[in-house]
Amino acid sequence: MIRIAGLAKAFAGPRGTAVHAVRDVSFSAADGRITGLLGPNGAGKTTTLRMLAGLIAPDAGTLEVDGIAVAQRPREALATMGVLSDARGLYPRLTARENILYFAALQGMARDEAAARAEALAQMLECSHLLARRTEGFSQGERMKVALARALVHDPAHIVLDEPTNGLDVVATRALRETLQWLASPAGGAKCIVFSTHIMQEVERLCDEVVVIARGRTVAQGTVPELRARCGTRDFEEAFVRLAYSDEEVQA
Amino acid sequence: MNGAWTVFSKELIDALRDRRTLLVVLLSSVLMGPLVLIALSGLVASFEARAERREVVLAGAEQAPTLTNYLARQGFTVKPAPADYEARLRRAELGDPVLVVPADFEAALARAEVPRLLLVSDSANKRANAGVWRLQQLVAGFNRERATLALALRGVSPDLTESARLDERDLANPQTRGTQLTGILPFFVLMAVLYGALHAALDTTAGERERGSLEPLLMNPAAPLAIVLGKWAAVSAVALLIALLSCFSFIPAQWLLQGDSLAALFQFGVREALWFIAVIAPFAAALAALLMAVAIRCKSVKEAQASTALVVLACSLLPLVGLLNPGAEERWHFWVPALAQNTLMTRVLKGETLGAEAIGVSLAVCAAMALLGVAFVARVLRRAAVR
Repeated sequence: MIRIAGLAKAFAGPRGTAVHAVRDVSFSAADGRITGLLGPNGAGKTTTLRMLAGLIAPDAGTLEVDGIAVAQRPREALATMGVLSDARGLYPRLTARENILYFAALQGMARDEAAARAEALAQMLECSHLLARRTEGFSQGERMKVALARALVHDPAHIVLDEPTNGLDVVATRALRETLQWLASPAGGAKCIVFSTHIMQEVERLCDEVVVIARGRTVAQGTVPELRARCGTRDFEEAFVRLAYSDEEVQA
Repeated sequence: MNGAWTVFSKELIDALRDRRTLLVVLLSSVLMGPLVLIALSGLVASFEARAERREVVLAGAEQAPTLTNYLARQGFTVKPAPADYEARLRRAELGDPVLVVPADFEAALARAEVPRLLLVSDSANKRANAGVWRLQQLVAGFNRERATLALALRGVSPDLTESARLDERDLANPQTRGTQLTGILPFFVLMAVLYGALHAALDTTAGERERGSLEPLLMNPAAPLAIVLGKWAAVSAVALLIALLSCFSFIPAQWLLQGDSLAALFQFGVREALWFIAVIAPFAAALAALLMAVAIRCKSVKEAQASTALVVLACSLLPLVGLLNPGAEERWHFWVPALAQNTLMTRVLKGETLGAEAIGVSLAVCAAMALLGVAFVARVLRRAAVR
């Protein structure tokens, strides 16, 4: 269970101005459900997820993971989260397995346990053949799989993904979708999954719950049919545009 | 501190797998020292050989039988000068100065008319210039002998021409004399540490940002300080490993030294190598922290290379203070990193004791640098990851 309330963050901009990346974001994501953060580019999705991972301290608001406040106990919170951030760089001189085991060790896992887990994850993500290879020269999809395995190695109850389908082809996207659905199901451990995206179709196909973020604010939360009904349209894209963009922006 | 150990082992493996960089560092800094040493020894050996050959070059030797007779009695062979000796001296083809004898030398000498000899050399021609002093001594010796004979014939004691005698005693022990040649070695060790640390320091900071792997790394429950400590230890270890190779490479290099007297002068054994390591280890740790602190502010390795150029320059130039002004150690030298290590290693080469104050001061400076560097990197790590 992830709960975010009244989150705000401003960065120092050029010449003393303040850039309000996040003004007022509040939402909650339940266990066993996939929650999508949908918003246009620059809406504040990445900043919100970075605050959730404890990389940036918020100016205001609270972030809780299973009742653990990220601001007060960041390391405990991180131990229950698997985060796949926007930046998903691998170490090119290490093999895929070594990349995964490195993060497992940082999570405090025992070596044998970590090795077994890496094998299991590779099987789930269908990338066992990559494990012994150095990651230099991996394709986008291969990188993404290793980065995801790395983020999930400690079997976290919460999975946070920032634009996970960026740069993936159709087959890889579909495989990722199936993996996420399985992880959210009782068989996969009923994980609490939060992912950000700006792609409508992904949200429609995958999300149990949608949080629409625009200009640093949460503008709506609900299931896809609920949001459609709220805007009085059958087209989800139309519903999103009405929710996320102001009237002037739509007309322009 | 489990996190620090994990980061340390990973970074060490990562750095050691970067074979191409390691090879370049090995070739440029580790091999360079011994190679320069061997080249220098070749040069010195050629000087020595010239000095041992006992040859003098005279233009017009046949006009001065008295002088050539004196030279022969001193055990010197007289070689006729080539016709174009001036041009050859200028082009450094001729490695000996030339003594020019005037046509009427012998007759003038007999008439006590004080004939003039001309010593031709080129001060830009190092080999020839080295022989000037010897020729001057020979001519002075010739004059002294003539004077002594003339006085003796007139019944005057030769002691009159020498109211005081000068004896010489050289206090330099073989090791101190050796540092004239080996004074450059500490510089190469410093360079080895610098280039050993440089790449690893950049790769673990700016490189991590450039790859986009710093952000995921910080999303682990390990504390930033533990991560930075691990990285710092790994960079220091790589630098120290290169320093180790560099120091111990001088030992086999000695076997290739030309000339026995030179080999006897240059005493660099396991003991000296271990002292070198002891002096350089704190510096390696301090330098690693400094380079990381500079590089963490940069978004790419390329940018970091530009930013660290100043550190590299300082490390290369500071030891020159010691090289340009040998022997003149001052107390403030030990407060300056790189210069302090250079001075201490020179003391090791001279076979002197290092001195508690010198060791204490340089250690304290290195410890402060390392502490500040690590603390700074740990402080800005999170900010660096998201920018």
